[in-house]
Amino acid sequence: MGGSLAINQNLNRSMIRLAFIQFIRSGRYAGAGIRIGLFFLLAIGVISLFVGKQFAQQQQQGITDVVQFQQTDFPRQAALHHDDMGLLLYYLKFSVINQTRPLTALAIGQRDVNPSVQSVTIRGLEGQKYDADLTNPANLLLGNVDFSFVLVYLFPLLIIAFTYSIISDEKENGTWSIVAVQSRHLLGFIGQLFLLRLAVVMAVMLLIVALAIPVLGIPLDGVLGLFLGTSVGYILFWFSVCFWVASLQRASSTNAILLLGIWLVLLIVLPAGVNNYITARYPVPEAQATTLAQRKGYHEKWDTDKTATLEKFYAHYPQFRQVPVVDMPTDWRWYYAMQQLGDDESAGQAGELRQKLEQRERASRSIAQFMPTLHTQLQLGELARSGLGNQLRFMDYTSQFHEKMRLYSYPKIFTNAPVLAEKWTDFKVDTFTDEAPIHPLSVLGTFVLFIALFAGLGWFRFRQTIYHL
Amino acid sequence: MLQAIELTKQYVPGQPPSLDALNLTVQPGEIYCLLGQNGAGKTTTINLFLGFLPPTSGQALINGLNVAEYPQETKKFLAYLPETVMLYPNLTGLENLDFFAQLAGFRHTPDELHSLLSRAGLQTEAHGKRVGTYSKGMRQKVGIAIALAKQAKALLLDEPTSGLDPKASNEFSEILTGLAQSGTAILMATHDIFRAREVGTRIGIMRAGHLVESLSASDLTANELEAIYLQTV
Repeated sequence: MGGSLAINQNLNRSMIRLAFIQFIRSGRYAGAGIRIGLFFLLAIGVISLFVGKQFAQQQQQGITDVVQFQQTDFPRQAALHHDDMGLLLYYLKFSVINQTRPLTALAIGQRDVNPSVQSVTIRGLEGQKYDADLTNPANLLLGNVDFSFVLVYLFPLLIIAFTYSIISDEKENGTWSIVAVQSRHLLGFIGQLFLLRLAVVMAVMLLIVALAIPVLGIPLDGVLGLFLGTSVGYILFWFSVCFWVASLQRASSTNAILLLGIWLVLLIVLPAGVNNYITARYPVPEAQATTLAQRKGYHEKWDTDKTATLEKFYAHYPQFRQVPVVDMPTDWRWYYAMQQLGDDESAGQAGELRQKLEQRERASRSIAQFMPTLHTQLQLGELARSGLGNQLRFMDYTSQFHEKMRLYSYPKIFTNAPVLAEKWTDFKVDTFTDEAPIHPLSVLGTFVLFIALFAGLGWFRFRQTIYHL
Repeated sequence: MLQAIELTKQYVPGQPPSLDALNLTVQPGEIYCLLGQNGAGKTTTINLFLGFLPPTSGQALINGLNVAEYPQETKKFLAYLPETVMLYPNLTGLENLDFFAQLAGFRHTPDELHSLLSRAGLQTEAHGKRVGTYSKGMRQKVGIAIALAKQAKALLLDEPTSGLDPKASNEFSEILTGLAQSGTAILMATHDIFRAREVGTRIGIMRAGHLVESLSASDLTANELEAIYLQTV
């Protein structure tokens, strides 16, 4: 009994516990700074979950509205234009939803700028592609304080605050000389000090994610695993940077300035530079130019010979040449041919825009391989399906969807099929589920590389200078 | 146990070295006291043995190992008491001792820790108080307890009794004598001629980086030592 008590006491009084007490009580303001910092980060982490929750609810509301609208609008329009299939399909808007995953609420990315619902008529596509939702300009200005923002921008600040003076503070307060002489394995001891702080920061991050799972209803799957892996990798990256800076054995104030400088460069200066570079390197023709080309392609046809227009249309869709011409209130065949040619004649510009955006996406990903901060942002967006890649794939899907609806509608219009024979409530809102594969190696490789680099540099430097005062 | 061979330290190239070709040996059981004015090279000598400074030339050996080559291995044999012991102010005296003893790989029971602190002369009621409330002398005593807890073969002391009252200084001298009797090699830099003569087995007098005298303490009275010291420096 006495023996087990002694062992318990020994465990409780372990060195790492004392180091923890020392850490949590430390600082000029008796540890208040450390505790306030932790509380602040946790609080803003929780707030970020509610920002995400609000986003998810808005998305959900938007989707519900669209589904409901389509269900009521289609039969209404059909009743109104029951004798004119061409006119009906002039008005009908078919909607596609870019599926929002629960995880998207943790990294909203570009989802607040790009619409998650595209509603298209079977008329010319290009003019409709960039009809965006109304977005809240104030929101765009501030950006979202979502989890990815808290992780990418704020966590490093806390890591810096926790570690910038890990050794220098002991030197400046005079405890280091006794530590250095007493310690059996000084580098191991420094490692323990870092691990202690790492454990505290990880606990905060994991707590926020653990709260997010029930609050946002995130499924426990491989994607969440990679999302967590990215977050852990990012935190480890910053710890390795701080470890390297500590190994330079400078004064606390120098370390602080150096680390804040690194923060500024990695999170503000370099991303802005990369953005400028990519914008200049891959100039994107204005979406408006494509719209103009499409409009011109279509409007010119009003003054062009009908036969020439139809011939071009048949060249694109030979299958409709055989469909016999029937009498109808408007010459819809010619009208939709004009619309179609608007798209066909702006296809060059549209393709160019698509290609440039693709190149931008690829270029920023390759550059990000060498910038863990940018990489984290891109990967979280990719995993949450809220990045540019997702947007491009959604646009592609919208084009395919539009083409499908056209090919379904053309024969009905050209034969002026009876409107009421069609069951309009069967046209459900389509949903795009982004299943683009994500390779764990491409997600985590960058972190492994940079963590090894900075931890290695720090270790090498410490081996030379660890005992020097 | 402690040996300096032509040990030299020049902080600024071109300037005269702060320590010039020091040769010195401290055997187990010996207490070697270094006397000398400020800037004579006493602290530099101790910092070279601690590996806190790289030597310009020569070697500092501990138990036959070169400190510059084996900074970590040589620490195993060493305990150190600086002029001003600084501890973690937000831990108690007992917790500080426990922490530093564990750092050296020793796990003591609370009873053992209390007894070490008492042996170093710290009053019992202070053991559980945060070090932030301690006086310099009290911190010095915790420092002594930390050095004792390591049971090191060599002890390096840099003016350890500064800030201690005469009674505490006297108790400290007794502790040192006891350690020497059990075979510890002790190198102590000090300004206290009287105490050096009391506890020292050998006394070295330094001036401008040179060891100018090395005397056997038992051959001298305190007054004779003071006379020699004043002539030398």
